Amino acid sequence: MEFGLLSLIIFLPFFVAMGVLFFPFSAQMTRNIAFATSVIILFLAFKIYYEFELTGYLQLREYHLWMKSYGINYSLGIDGFSLIIMMLIATLIPCAYLMLWDGRTKGYWVSMLLIQTGISGTLFSQDLILFYFFWEAMLLPVFMIIGMFGTGNRVHSTIKITIYTILGSLFMFVCILYLGVQFYHEYGLWSFEMSDLMVISTISRTESLWLFFGFMLAFAIKIPLFPFHTWLLETYSNSPTGGVFLLSSIMAKLGVYAIVRFMMPLFPKLYVEFAPYMMWLGIFGLLYFGIAALMQINIKKMFAYSSASHLGFIVAGIFSLNTYGLTGAAYLIIAHAMATGGIFLLIGKMEYSIGIKAIPALGGIAKQAPLFTTFFAIMLLCIIGLPGTNGFVSEFLIILGTFKFHPTAGIVSAFTVLVAAIFMFWMFQRVILQKTSNDISDMVDLNFKEVLGMLPLAVMIISMGVYPDFFLYKIEPTIQHYLINILHIGVK
Amino acid sequence: MYPDFLYIAPLVFVGFGGILLMLLSPFKQITIRMAAFIALFFMLCATGLYFYNISELYSYYPYAQTFGSMIVADNYSAYFSTILLAGAIFTILIGVHYFEKNRGFTTEFFSLFLFSLFGMMLLVHATELITVLIALEIASLSLYVMIGFQKHLDKRMEASFRYLVLGSISGAFFLLGTAFIYANTQTTKISQIGIFIQNNPQSDVMLLIMGVCFIFITFLFKIAAFPLQNWAIDVYDGAPYPVTAFMAGTFKAAIFGFILRFVLVDLELIIDFWDNILYVVILLTLLYGSFLAIIQQSLKRMLAASSIVHTGYLLIAFISIDITGKSAASSIIFYLVAYFLSSMGAFGLLSYISSDDKVRITYEDFRGFAHIRPYMAAMMSVFMLSLAGIPSTIGFIGKFYIFVAAIESGYTLLAVFGILATFVSIYYYFRLIAIMYFYPSAKMQDVPTLHGMAPYFIGIISLIIIWGGIGNTLITYFPGVDFLMDMARLAYDSLQVK
Repeated sequence: MEFGLLSLIIFLPFFVAMGVLFFPFSAQMTRNIAFATSVIILFLAFKIYYEFELTGYLQLREYHLWMKSYGINYSLGIDGFSLIIMMLIATLIPCAYLMLWDGRTKGYWVSMLLIQTGISGTLFSQDLILFYFFWEAMLLPVFMIIGMFGTGNRVHSTIKITIYTILGSLFMFVCILYLGVQFYHEYGLWSFEMSDLMVISTISRTESLWLFFGFMLAFAIKIPLFPFHTWLLETYSNSPTGGVFLLSSIMAKLGVYAIVRFMMPLFPKLYVEFAPYMMWLGIFGLLYFGIAALMQINIKKMFAYSSASHLGFIVAGIFSLNTYGLTGAAYLIIAHAMATGGIFLLIGKMEYSIGIKAIPALGGIAKQAPLFTTFFAIMLLCIIGLPGTNGFVSEFLIILGTFKFHPTAGIVSAFTVLVAAIFMFWMFQRVILQKTSNDISDMVDLNFKEVLGMLPLAVMIISMGVYPDFFLYKIEPTIQHYLINILHIGVK
Repeated sequence: MYPDFLYIAPLVFVGFGGILLMLLSPFKQITIRMAAFIALFFMLCATGLYFYNISELYSYYPYAQTFGSMIVADNYSAYFSTILLAGAIFTILIGVHYFEKNRGFTTEFFSLFLFSLFGMMLLVHATELITVLIALEIASLSLYVMIGFQKHLDKRMEASFRYLVLGSISGAFFLLGTAFIYANTQTTKISQIGIFIQNNPQSDVMLLIMGVCFIFITFLFKIAAFPLQNWAIDVYDGAPYPVTAFMAGTFKAAIFGFILRFVLVDLELIIDFWDNILYVVILLTLLYGSFLAIIQQSLKRMLAASSIVHTGYLLIAFISIDITGKSAASSIIFYLVAYFLSSMGAFGLLSYISSDDKVRITYEDFRGFAHIRPYMAAMMSVFMLSLAGIPSTIGFIGKFYIFVAAIESGYTLLAVFGILATFVSIYYYFRLIAIMYFYPSAKMQDVPTLHGMAPYFIGIISLIIIWGGIGNTLITYFPGVDFLMDMARLAYDSLQVK
């Protein structure tokens, strides 16, 4: 049996985690091993990135029988869309490790390693049962990391997020099984392979509506889309820094990824039909969570909502049904993951030194911690989409896409982004710049390792903003493939 | 062809072991440990005998003249007997420590244990309804005594007596059903009942249908389905842990072993009459079982209540049998293996932990358990995850098969209900994991001491569960889920051999 690079990326962290568990390594040692693993994966990811050919089709296929009796296979592959998310995750995780360097236990690092396995598995799976396998298995380390290392009423919020996500994924599970059975009825053999399930033609409209919303539920909870967001605030505020980072910058993006990767090919007609509603739902989320973010005085909660708001924007982009919107969404996934991930890591750092504080109790951090302020500013500028950052490129593209879809949608989203920017600046001024009498003397600046962790993100944010074409060309064939061959609506 | 004796040798071994232990019981020199090893020896011999022609399809009536074709040896009975023997072996291996530490167990207990196992094995070999009744009663009677074996505990006596009274009534229903069937068909042989149904119009088999209904009542009682589930929690709770484990996983498998044969060989043509009733039974079993499981504070009672929910899952596949016989039947067989492993692990671990002086009963007793016994907590988590059907455990694959069978037969709504029950089960299974991991450790003097081999066997079970969940054809030589499923299908096929 031969296994390729994708399997290596998936299972390297898993085996490292298992190895670490069985040997009495200290927390520091575990951390160093975990970091080394993530760097190796980054190199592997780069290798894949350079070898990736510019077509819209799956590459690096790996195919092994798993459960013969039901035609379930260990089937992996990547296309342009998974490629960029893989690159994103491979880059983000070592950076996050550097930011989380001190004061974590062994269990924390083992959970982080296991989560990376789950994420990569979800990203590469081409068999729906395999996908579900990783999608659900990913939840366990998240469960552990929030429950063991969270703050506040952490057990409650852990159970809450678990129950929410499992509710969604169990319905998706039934839908997957239903698709498999339909395929069996039509073709006489079992398969849960993505490319096979796409060709089912016997499903009636009512059935596919149920299936569409079954899948949608799972992904909408994960993202979270309005109105499935009620777990968001509590989980984000009670999670440890690493947990928030994973939830906001990686797992939420996987929800969006899954919509594009699975729902679009499986239900192309319904996808086009419901696109307007979903797009408006996304824009509503942008607006709603944007307003909610302004109401928060806890900085972590504020960014939790701002993150959800941007995810609504991304969803609007993927349902805008044109190259601009889709490319913008893909680009915003990266931009937002880097910026929000970076922001949450920085906030975690701030909490670590001065404790959790409300916005009015902060201020004057710029003087105390100049490096911290610099990176915070870059991330923030990316979030609000200032020209010169990749946030600008992506938000501009999505606004263009939504405008093309419907001018009102474009205007509403542009306006919301603008207003959000003003409020973000206001927050930045109050927290970081403004001199107050508050005591923030415990605040320490970033050390060398943390700068090393933040630097790649900052560099990427700016270089992707200045020269987007260099990064976009890998994904364009895939997006055209989606629009032309799968949705049959052509490149508009 | 092998000599006839080889086909019944496993039964003979187990029965002989029971008799030998009974004869040895007056001797005080025989310690509990020795008795356990004698029982193990006979069971291992019996298990070994099932592996000699594992991949070949066969169905043979050994000593057809002597036994009058009342006992059959086929892949089906071999598969089920192997499950039963595995369950019994694990029960003894894990339970030895419990039996030694707790007052009241003697050599006779192991004798009864083997007799009970003998009854269960006979149950899956039997092809004649009176033989089935005898087998069922051998198994049940031994269990009644085993439950109440610790005479000094009121709880045990109460559970034993409750099970005895209710179980006897359900046995009477079986007898009545058999009488009805005999009145209609003039036979009690399972294969001939099937032929009778084929040759006669439905209007002529009404009495037979009545009889089948009575037999199904016994069936629903023994597997604790709604509305006959009320005994389960109290009896499971009242019984000693190893006996509970044995009942929950193994006895349920034996009952299904008989009823599946009965339905698949005989009743596939007329089973439709039962579907509407069964549909309601399933819904209420899932609903009521989930409700009971949520409200429990004691872990043992929670596991007992959740076994009712698992009965519901099994019945979901059972109702699909008349439409997609093969996949439904093999999914039931597979799920029985998955459930037996997970519940055996969970009960076994609980029995091990509580065999010492400090008894842990409720959820709260496990607060912070992961910090004092990390490996045990990890194993417990594996069992909980498997029971909840989370991927990477065998429980997930089992649920996958069950729900595929249901959807394939058009019972999509039932599959959705099953999913909802699974969803509820996340609460009571994950609650234990959360309590073990997310709270600071309890007082250190409560640390259970480590002794004996039991933790290793429990560890082996948890490894099997994980292997069953991810195990695949990647390592070709090692049997995984595919092997179990292939065997289950072979077992199904062997029922069709005429």
